[in-house]
Amino acid sequence: MAQAVLAVLAISGVAAMLALILVVAERFIARYGSCTIDINQGTRQITIEGGKSLLNVLTEEKLFIPSACGGRGTCGYCKVTIREGGGPILPTETPFLTADEQEQGLRLSCQVKVRNDLVIKIPEELLSVREYTAVCEKIEDLTYDMKRFILRLQEPDRIDYVPGQYVQLLCPPYPGSDEEVYRAYSIASDPAETGRVDLIIRRVPNGICTTWCFEHLQEGQTVRINGPYGEFRLSDNPAPALFIAGGSGMAPFVSILHQMEHAHDTRSVRYFYGGNQVRDLCLLDEMKRFEEHLEDFTFVPVVAEPGPEESWDGRRGLVTEAVSEEFDNLADYEAYLCGSPGMIDAAIKVLKSLGIDKARVYYDKFA
Amino acid sequence: MKQSPDMARLEQVLRSGRIVRGGFLGTDRRPLAEIIEADRAAVTRRGLTCERIAGRMAELTAAAMGRLGTWVDAGGGLQVRAEEHKGLIVCPWPHPARCRKRITTARRSETGQALQWTDLSIHLIGKHAFFQGRESAFRMEPDALIDFLGLTGEATAEDAGIWPTPKR
Amino acid sequence: MSLSQELQTALVVCFSAVFTQNILLTLFLGMCPFTSVSREVRTALGLGGAVVFVMTCTVVLNWMAYHWLLVKLDLEFFRFVLFIVIIAAFVQFVEMVIDRYSPRLYQNLGIFLPLITVNCAILGASLFMVIRDYTLLVSLGWGFGAGVGWLLAILAMAGIRQRLDESRVPVGLRGPGITLIIAGLMALAFIGFSGVLG
Repeated sequence: MAQAVLAVLAISGVAAMLALILVVAERFIARYGSCTIDINQGTRQITIEGGKSLLNVLTEEKLFIPSACGGRGTCGYCKVTIREGGGPILPTETPFLTADEQEQGLRLSCQVKVRNDLVIKIPEELLSVREYTAVCEKIEDLTYDMKRFILRLQEPDRIDYVPGQYVQLLCPPYPGSDEEVYRAYSIASDPAETGRVDLIIRRVPNGICTTWCFEHLQEGQTVRINGPYGEFRLSDNPAPALFIAGGSGMAPFVSILHQMEHAHDTRSVRYFYGGNQVRDLCLLDEMKRFEEHLEDFTFVPVVAEPGPEESWDGRRGLVTEAVSEEFDNLADYEAYLCGSPGMIDAAIKVLKSLGIDKARVYYDKFA
Repeated sequence: MKQSPDMARLEQVLRSGRIVRGGFLGTDRRPLAEIIEADRAAVTRRGLTCERIAGRMAELTAAAMGRLGTWVDAGGGLQVRAEEHKGLIVCPWPHPARCRKRITTARRSETGQALQWTDLSIHLIGKHAFFQGRESAFRMEPDALIDFLGLTGEATAEDAGIWPTPKR
Repeated sequence: MSLSQELQTALVVCFSAVFTQNILLTLFLGMCPFTSVSREVRTALGLGGAVVFVMTCTVVLNWMAYHWLLVKLDLEFFRFVLFIVIIAAFVQFVEMVIDRYSPRLYQNLGIFLPLITVNCAILGASLFMVIRDYTLLVSLGWGFGAGVGWLLAILAMAGIRQRLDESRVPVGLRGPGITLIIAGLMALAFIGFSGVLG
């Protein structure tokens, strides 16, 4: 009996002692204390408890570094420059960093653990990115696979953006998707209405975020977005402009056309908008309205293969073919593209053959 | 057999909905290594390699590219179209591979039978011999896929299954 | 036994643990990671390195716990529980230290450490140390030698399996089948060492 008690005591004692050692060790070893992160030479300083990844820390501080994989170290988007305190480059980062980038101190912020004071540099435009909560006020069907989501901003209740820029929409976990993900969508609303953000979203088969938007998001529900991001915008050059878009690539142009209407912009704009069938085209009425209100705007919808039951008396063929039929020389033009990467590639090819300067072809690279 | 920690971690990523909705493995409860081994064996039995199958799929996708989602005749009784969405999708394997979100649909003109695959499917089959799990969105049965593509292997005694050709 | 004698015994035990008494190929302990983590030389080296380190340290720690605590209290039958607890705590501790001070090593080794906690070869080494009545110094030699022996075996296997990818293995034997056959052949080869130390 005595031995049994002794045995239990001894083993419990040893286990307790080991646990104690681990707890003490954790306190002294795994604690990094408070670390200060200096961003862009003192533009902003944050002090936080060390131990987390730099990406997480920055996101918590509402500094949004674009990232597609959610910190798993597979997308290579979340690069920041670390001037001091980053430690050695980890094997998980090397595949994403060129020799030049390593030289400059670029690191993947999701792989760098904050364990001491850091001095970092991030692109200036990211400092003006904010997170917004918004209510999804209305969901409109635009086509069989495209919807417009009208978001009314709550906190903060207004957003400053340049038409053509995009926001990231947070898609929360739901059955079939276990993590938060962010997806980028161009703003498709009138910039004069600063409390409102419209998104035009086309359904991606089995897509994480679009499935959520189409099947789970309800009118009246609160959503979170952050932004604005992106360099895509109308230039200050009054040269005639050519817009080329397909499907949901319509979105940024809606915003840009509103901007032109408010500014009484008189430049000449030709807008080629393509779809496979008539049912793929959206917002034709809205475009007609812009044709009436803008000085020199022509909207040219193009359908590749109208379906058997569809009547179509407009242009037929691919949108890129329509452009090359319409113009002989585009040397004086500026071109703005938005659509699938395949459409952008095809359009650039056509534009080049029509003599346009490559530096005057604008498109968003977030695709 | 226990899987290596790398493999176990990969399987976890594949089962989760982190990269594609519902994950890559569908309702397949077999361990990842077993899924890959079984499909690879099915391909070997036909005297083919995964690289060759993926190569043919990539050819068909390439034929449809630039036609912005309209049907193209790809020869061999096949018609293809490729639909593209914005954004990139990452390969779940721990290496930096990214694919466009492009879905290729191929159909046999005489039967109307159709198959769909993504650019990521091509990469997964060609590089990782991974045809995805049963009942996942883009699962392809190796045998059905080979029949559909009309591929034939060099029918030698080696391909009967006992002594496979060395990979080189 | 004088110190120099003990040192000599430790060296002999260490050497024999690597070759003649190889924990993997003659005692067949730690087969599980041996078959599953031996696809690549690089990962095999990582796991093997971790085993050498953990085995050396835990054998010594367990020797102290056994002789200075269990034997004194007459509780030898509790050694299984105690050894496992000590191994688990030690691995936790090491993981913490590596994470803090060497992120690079943590990346390379970190994932293998938790796997090692439940490796039977680690526990086996401590139990053999008790059965064979080793002294502290000899235990050190034994732990280190057993670890190095394990590393050597898995490294050899990984090298062979990398070559194997290029060769014509009958379909039914691929994977674990051929691995076990090779392990058997390697074990036979290691038996050849048994005459080296009398």
